[in-house]
Amino acid sequence: MPEQLHAEIIEQLPSYALGCLDPAEAAAVATHLAGCAACRAELAAYQGLTGRLAQAAPPVAPPPALKSRLLQRVQSPAHARRAPRVPGAEQGLLRRVPPVWAIVSLLLVAGLAVGNLVLWQQLNRAPAPTTGMRTIVLAGTAVAPKGTATLVISADGNQGALVADALPPLDPTHQYQLWLIKDGQRTSGGTFSVDAKGYGALRVRSPEPLSDYSAFGVTLEPAGGSPGPTGPRVLGHNL
Amino acid sequence: MAAKLAILIGIDMNYTALDDENLIWHVAEGRPEALSALYDRYARLLFSLAYRAVGDAETAEEIVEDVFVSVWDKAATYRADQAKLSTWLVSITRYRAIDALRRRGARPDRKGVDWEAADPAALPRIDGPEQVVEQHAEQQRVRAAVAALPEDQRQVLSLAFFEGQTHSQIAASLGQPLGTVKTRIRLAMSKLRQMLQDERLTVQ
Repeated sequence: MPEQLHAEIIEQLPSYALGCLDPAEAAAVATHLAGCAACRAELAAYQGLTGRLAQAAPPVAPPPALKSRLLQRVQSPAHARRAPRVPGAEQGLLRRVPPVWAIVSLLLVAGLAVGNLVLWQQLNRAPAPTTGMRTIVLAGTAVAPKGTATLVISADGNQGALVADALPPLDPTHQYQLWLIKDGQRTSGGTFSVDAKGYGALRVRSPEPLSDYSAFGVTLEPAGGSPGPTGPRVLGHNL
Repeated sequence: MAAKLAILIGIDMNYTALDDENLIWHVAEGRPEALSALYDRYARLLFSLAYRAVGDAETAEEIVEDVFVSVWDKAATYRADQAKLSTWLVSITRYRAIDALRRRGARPDRKGVDWEAADPAALPRIDGPEQVVEQHAEQQRVRAAVAALPEDQRQVLSLAFFEGQTHSQIAASLGQPLGTVKTRIRLAMSKLRQMLQDERLTVQ
């Protein structure tokens, strides 16, 4: 890591935590963070500080009706249907386990009836299992040279799971977003965050069978995602 | 964990006495009483933040409601080893408030430095559950630290934190050189960090 760059990045960490860097600067910081544990620790301190600043907002009490409305809303049958609560919910569980097991869990979630042991062996042996699933490796661009991700698509092409590793950790106002590309059209496949080691997972939501798309890419976007790519491309692959 | 055991054997929980990490665990389990306790603990903080950012009560209400609904849906994704719960809640609220400002297209016409001033006299007077006392002390610490910054630093910090403006936008709206804005933000944040670290030591 060039010393001068490192010194410049450290100076930008407070602003990165606040989310007030201009996009090109934010991308440079994100890239550096991927390979610099000292800066990641420094960033965590500033992120904690940013959270505490809310304490200095002029205090205003929320209207009393808000609480009852909220509690009614989360318990309404309509809400329960929209967001099924599964004990040991997929994301929470996945974020606590290492990548290989995450892939296994995702495949199980995706409903692929293959024995654990068989999967284990296949995943450890080759990037292209012989069960009819397709495995696509996305490589990091110049923005995230160490980044990598594996997209697994079920045999029928309808289910997919993305597991990313060594991507730059982001401030809370940004996420990664997967794009499904066909005829130059980019459709969102979902957003995901990564942990301090740059590891993250996503169950891909796709309007059409994943096997119909010709390419996949991942960009850096505001948290929650964008209607179309706006940030730098961090991972890509063309079929 | 005692709280988890209590749930397994069906003991009635006093959710307000739980620490954040245990409380969010119960929210992830889908317990409305836990969400209710979490709301009591943080709604005022988050509403104040949203209201200060967007400037109207109706939008602030929508934001806070959406934040707690997404906490209800995604509590299982919270990682205690990566951020305090309050940091997580504030960052979700802040993002949504800033997003609402962007969608509205115009920012409230304020160049204010309106941070809340600290009231040290109120500090020892508060009684109540440990959580409440600690939350109050934390509030006073942060307010005092922000109040100790020079006014020009409080101003840029306010535009960045509450309104989500970038360096360039702040420079443009204040008519200040970009380098000046960057320096003020950096100085403000590193001073705050120092002050709040030191204060925490003396408080404990």
